[in-house]
Formats: sequence, structure tokens, C-alpha cells
Amino acid sequence: MGLDPANQTGRDPASGSPRERLAALRARLAAPGGPAAARSVLPLGLTAIDAHLPGGGLALGPPHEIAPMEPADAVAALGFVLALCAAQLVLTQGAALIAAAPNQPLPHGHGLAGLGLDPARLLLLEAGSDAEVFRALEAALHARALPVLVGLLADGLPLKPGRRLQLAAEAGAEGAAPPLLLILRSAEAGLPNGAATRWRIASAPAARDRFGTLDNPRWRARLERCRNGRGGDWLLEWDHAAHRLRLPEPLARDAAAAGRSRA
Amino acid sequence: MAAEGPGGLRLLALDPEARALGLRPGEPLGRVRARIGVPLQVYPADPDSDRAALLRLCRWAEGYAPVVAPFGAAEAADGFYIDVAGASHLRGGEGPLVDDLAGRLARSNIPARIALADTPGGAFALACYGASDRVIVPPGGAEPALRALPVEALRLDPGTVSGLRRLGLRRVGEVDALARGPLARRFGEALLLRLDQAMGRRPEPLAPLTEEAAYRAARGFLDPIGRQSDIVVTARLLMAEIAPRLERDGVGACALRLVLHRVDGVMRVLDLGLSRPERCPERVAALVSLRLDRLGAGLDAGFGFETVTLTVTVTGALSARQTELGAAPQGDGIDALADALTQRLGRPLLRLGARASHIPERAAHTLPWTLQGSDSASRRSRQAPSPVRERGAVPRSASCEADTPWTSAPSSWPDHLPPRPLVLFPRGEAALDVLSTVPEGPPRRFRWRARIHAIVHAEGPERIAAEWWHAPGAARDYYRVECEAGRRLWLYRDGPHAPGRPAAWFVHGVFA
Repeated sequence: MGLDPANQTGRDPASGSPRERLAALRARLAAPGGPAAARSVLPLGLTAIDAHLPGGGLALGPPHEIAPMEPADAVAALGFVLALCAAQLVLTQGAALIAAAPNQPLPHGHGLAGLGLDPARLLLLEAGSDAEVFRALEAALHARALPVLVGLLADGLPLKPGRRLQLAAEAGAEGAAPPLLLILRSAEAGLPNGAATRWRIASAPAARDRFGTLDNPRWRARLERCRNGRGGDWLLEWDHAAHRLRLPEPLARDAAAAGRSRA
Repeated sequence: MAAEGPGGLRLLALDPEARALGLRPGEPLGRVRARIGVPLQVYPADPDSDRAALLRLCRWAEGYAPVVAPFGAAEAADGFYIDVAGASHLRGGEGPLVDDLAGRLARSNIPARIALADTPGGAFALACYGASDRVIVPPGGAEPALRALPVEALRLDPGTVSGLRRLGLRRVGEVDALARGPLARRFGEALLLRLDQAMGRRPEPLAPLTEEAAYRAARGFLDPIGRQSDIVVTARLLMAEIAPRLERDGVGACALRLVLHRVDGVMRVLDLGLSRPERCPERVAALVSLRLDRLGAGLDAGFGFETVTLTVTVTGALSARQTELGAAPQGDGIDALADALTQRLGRPLLRLGARASHIPERAAHTLPWTLQGSDSASRRSRQAPSPVRERGAVPRSASCEADTPWTSAPSSWPDHLPPRPLVLFPRGEAALDVLSTVPEGPPRRFRWRARIHAIVHAEGPERIAAEWWHAPGAARDYYRVECEAGRRLWLYRDGPHAPGRPAAWFVHGVFA
């Protein structure tokens, strides 16, 4: 019925129930350059990476899967996820929801300052299982109240919940921009799923400041899979004061060299 | 002294002095004034205030047992019943209970006559016409005690009493001994009813006080309902019934109780909490739906629910606002999500809170998220986008920061803390096979989590002293170290370096 063209053209703002008319007026107001419709991606601010991603950034709505390169890199991957959270929170109002499966490491409040993230803008949910994490994320996607959703999973993201999350992201309230949805899984549990991008994160020697002490964290990020885009391998540095990722100036593998170049 | 007027003013109640003058309730005031030479102080009766005072006393008496019923019109409305069945042992038995009640009433200057018997009728008779002002009749012993009482004790109307007296029947026992048929024909069914109630031959249910000012609505069904959608629709209708009452009083529901009465007498009670006062029926229905989702088969409708009751148990101030304009009244904001998650998963939304402690594992904790907290959080985030760690500061001993007053309330996050790890372990994990180049310095390599870590860079120490007012312990020397693979760890040595003692090293956290 919805595909009938006559039915579609008949729905102009002057007819229909008050609710329909209001919705039509809202759509007309929001369409040309309204603030909500402006952004559908989170640009990482690096042309080198954004060129690989469709739309020039991480798409808002579909899940993005992030995994540590090996189990010992789990905290580095969590750091990368929270850095993306901070990048999105700087651009929007609201808070980030972190739904964690049991025994997943939760961020330490005082450690968030090192990523430039305000602890007051994080909401935590200690779920009882991966399934509960999916349900919580789904509810949050429908509510459209939060700009960032993070799921910390004990296992991977299977095909069916991934698809459900995708549908929930598409079906949310009209007008509001969908949230950035990040899924952090463990290193071993790689399952086929509908994630828009799949990242692998490993820790890398941190940047050094001019006194030679530890400075901004660095990660080796591999974009393993990207729907409608290309993969890639980068050494990324998180600038917690400017809230953005950057590439260390020389693409150096050596920490000492990187530190010298910054000085 | 009080007076009121059916056919002229009549005496209604008397104080002891007036009683000593020979006055009696019911006498016309004019005749009394003529008969007595003494000037009288007469106050007009105020039955509404009397009733309110009696209800207040009944509320107070609910401390003894939950079922308290005030006297009705037939009992002159000057007392109350307490159903102490099953509750007397809480006061050490029936005797101590009556003593306690009498003592408390006496301290409040309320003259009281108390009787404890098997039936309300028996207790009333013994209290009003018994030999002493404190009567306790053992179970089954009411009948002989009642037989000796005057017929007025049976809570009869004055016409019946005077009729009985005209027949020469003055005692309850004399009435009870007569044949029931002629009595019923002459005085009506009421006399036998009162007699049987006093003797315990017929039950007499008490009408307990109901909760006052309750926001509550109920719906009964001829055909029991069992489907989830029906229950949700019913909850919405009930809330729509309550909402105008809430709006009139300027409040919203903070907590709701939905009681489902099953056909076979089983009750299902669902308690719903809301993060902010609410009176929107659609939102309440959505929460009920989520809660039923979670219950699933646990609801067990059986043959269906015949009555559904919705009660607002906690209210909060909520000013009037427009509830609906065109768009469907969707849940808005984080509070709606928090409620939805609480109902659906049964897990509260948490937030991180800082505590004024310099022991790392005690310095942060999680708190339940509340609307209040998020308000201040969003305010803060608007003022300053995020706290930026100050770098380059010389790591200093944190124990000198303990001058902030200790509060259990969430304190703000300190700004000038040396770098802290992104993930902190609840307790340090032992680093084994530690090799150091300098005895008091940081390790060069160690084993942790089945892996050898070779340290290429170390910063520190940051000495954190134990909080001696909580528990004695050694100070810890913390180091930030980076190993060859680029992982950054937070290590500490338990206790200061001592030459004769092997150093114990622990990994306490991992940096991003």
C-alpha cells in the first residue's frame, strides 16, 4: 500500500490528520540544512582515513566493531573506543552509554581525563550477558536520547543481533540523528556480522613530550573491513586536548624517533 | 460540657464535675439550667472535629495492629476497635498490650476503657458496661461475662432498649434465654443480629480505615484478562483515570504499583519506579509493557486476572504542562531510557563518581544514575567541555591532597591528579620474577599475566600513603612504565625500599 504513488502524492501538508500534517511540516522544515539532518557521519579529521570511509567518516547508526589485536591489547582498544566517544561528544550534547557484559574492564573515572573525556558524560550499564547488552543498545537506539552507544562484549557480535541493531538504528525517532554505535569485542571472537567497519587495535609506544616523558597515547589501528570503503593500516595518536586523532608526523615505528620529531 | 439541639439544646457530654452534680447526657439544657443553681459552661458540639480527632487516634492505634476500625453511629462514635489477632505477641501478649495502650492513652490525658474479647460486639459491651476499665476475657469466656451486662451493651437503638426494659428484660442473659422467634417478631432482626454478634455466633467484619488521599484506580473484569496487551491497555486506562487527580494536586507519580488479582486469588504485584514525576498514561503503559516483557512466563496469568489495580505509591511535585500536541508523547531524554532499561533488564543505569580519597581503588566508584546528578553533569559539561589534564607537573605525593573534607556525596573530579590508568584493577596483581638495575628503582623486566614485560621507559615514583584512619598499611610507590610492545602499565612497590627485604611489585592498572 505504501508503494502506491497516488497514495504518496496525496499526502501534502494541507490534508490528513493533524498529526500527519504536523509531521509533514516538520519534515519540510528540517529538510534543507536543518541542524539534525546535517551530519550522518563522524569525521575523524584525518583525510588519510576519512578518504577510506564512505561518506568521509564513521557512519552514525550502523554498528562499528572494534577488537584488540591480541588479548593483551584490550585496554588499548577500549582507549580507542573512548577516544571516538570523546570525538563525538565534543560535537554533540548529551552523554555516552557504555553497556558492559560481565567481567569486561570498565573505565576508571580518573583515567578518563587522560583521554579528554568528562566522566560525568558517561552512563554505565552492567548487563548480565551479551544478550542483555544487545537489548540495552537496541532500547537506546530506539530512544535516540544519547549520541554515543558503546557495547563491551564478552564474545563477538553475531549476525542476528548485528542486524537487529542496524534495523533499530534505522527505525529510531524521525528528525534526530542516529547515535554513533561502537561494539568492542574480545580478540578471539571474530564472527561474521553486519558491522559497517571492523577495526583492530594494538598498543604502540606513546608519544613523548619535550622532556621525554610519556605523552599522548598511540595505537596501531587496522581497518580490516569497511563496507563501501577500503581497509588500511595507520599509527594513530590521540590528542586529548584537541579531542582529535592525528597521524604522528613521520610515520615512524620507533618511539624515540617520534618523540624527537615532536620536540 | 457540650450541648446540641434536637428539639432544643440537650446535653451531649459531661465532664466529671458536671456528672457529680447529677446531670446526665440527653437532658434538655433549659431544664438543667432551671434545676441547677450553679452557672454552667456550655460549649456547642462539633461532631466533625470529634470525628477527625477519633480518626487521628485510630491512625495512631495502627501502631498496635494493622486493622483498626473507628466506632460507627451505633456505637456513639467515641472509640475504636483494634483487631489484635496475630499481633498481640509483638507487645508480649494481650495483657502487656492492653497495659501499654492504657498507659499511653493516660499519658495523653485520654480517659479510656479497654476490653479485649473474642468479638467486637463483646469487647464493646465489656468496655462500655464492664465492671472495670480494663477487661481481658480469655478465649471462649465472653458469654458468661456478657450475660450479666445491661441490654444497652448490645448496641441497640434506644427504642428497642426501652421496649426490652418495659418487658422487664434488663440483662443480656435474660434476653438470650428467651425464644428467638417471638423476640424477632417483636423487636426485629437487628436485636438477634447484635446478640449473636456479641456472643460470637455470627461474624462481624470490621471495616478498617482506608488509606487517605490515595491515587488509585481499579478495574474489574467480568471476563478475566490474561494477555499482555490487555494488561497494558488497562494500565493506560487506569493511569488516564488517575492523571486528572494528580494534575489537580500538582504532583506526578514517582513510583507505581500495579496489582493483578488472579481468578484463583493469587496476586501479582508489579512495582514500577520512575526517574522523574510522571502522569502521562502512555509512558506508564510503555513501562508496564517493558516490565511484562521481562517477566515473560513469570507472570503466569493462569485463568486470567479479574481485577487490576493501579496505585501511585510515591508522588513528586510536577507542575502543569502540555502533555500532547500532534506528535506522539514519546519518552524524551535519558530519564525515559533509564526507566526503560530498569524495567526491561532490571538493571539500573550507573554513572561514575569521584570520592575524596587518594587510594586509587577507593577514589572512584559507580553510583545509580539520577536525574539530579545528570542535571549538574550537563551543566558542568556546558561550562567546560572536559577537564584537561595538566601535564608537566612534577609528580608529588598525593597524601597532601587529603585536605578536602571527606563526603560520601559524589564530589567533583580533581583536576590536578597525576595521570591515572584507563583501567584500574580492584587490587594489584602480583608482578613476578622482577629484575631491577637499581635496588630502589623501577623494574627492568617482570612477568605478569603469563608474559614477560621488558620495560623501556619508567616514570615515577608517585608515593601514595595508606589512609591510616581506615586501615594501616604501607605506602605505595607508583611508576608509569612502558614496555617494548608499547603497553603502558601502572606498577607499584608495596612499601618503601628496604635493603633486607625483597620488594613486592604489583600491576595496578593499564593505560590506554
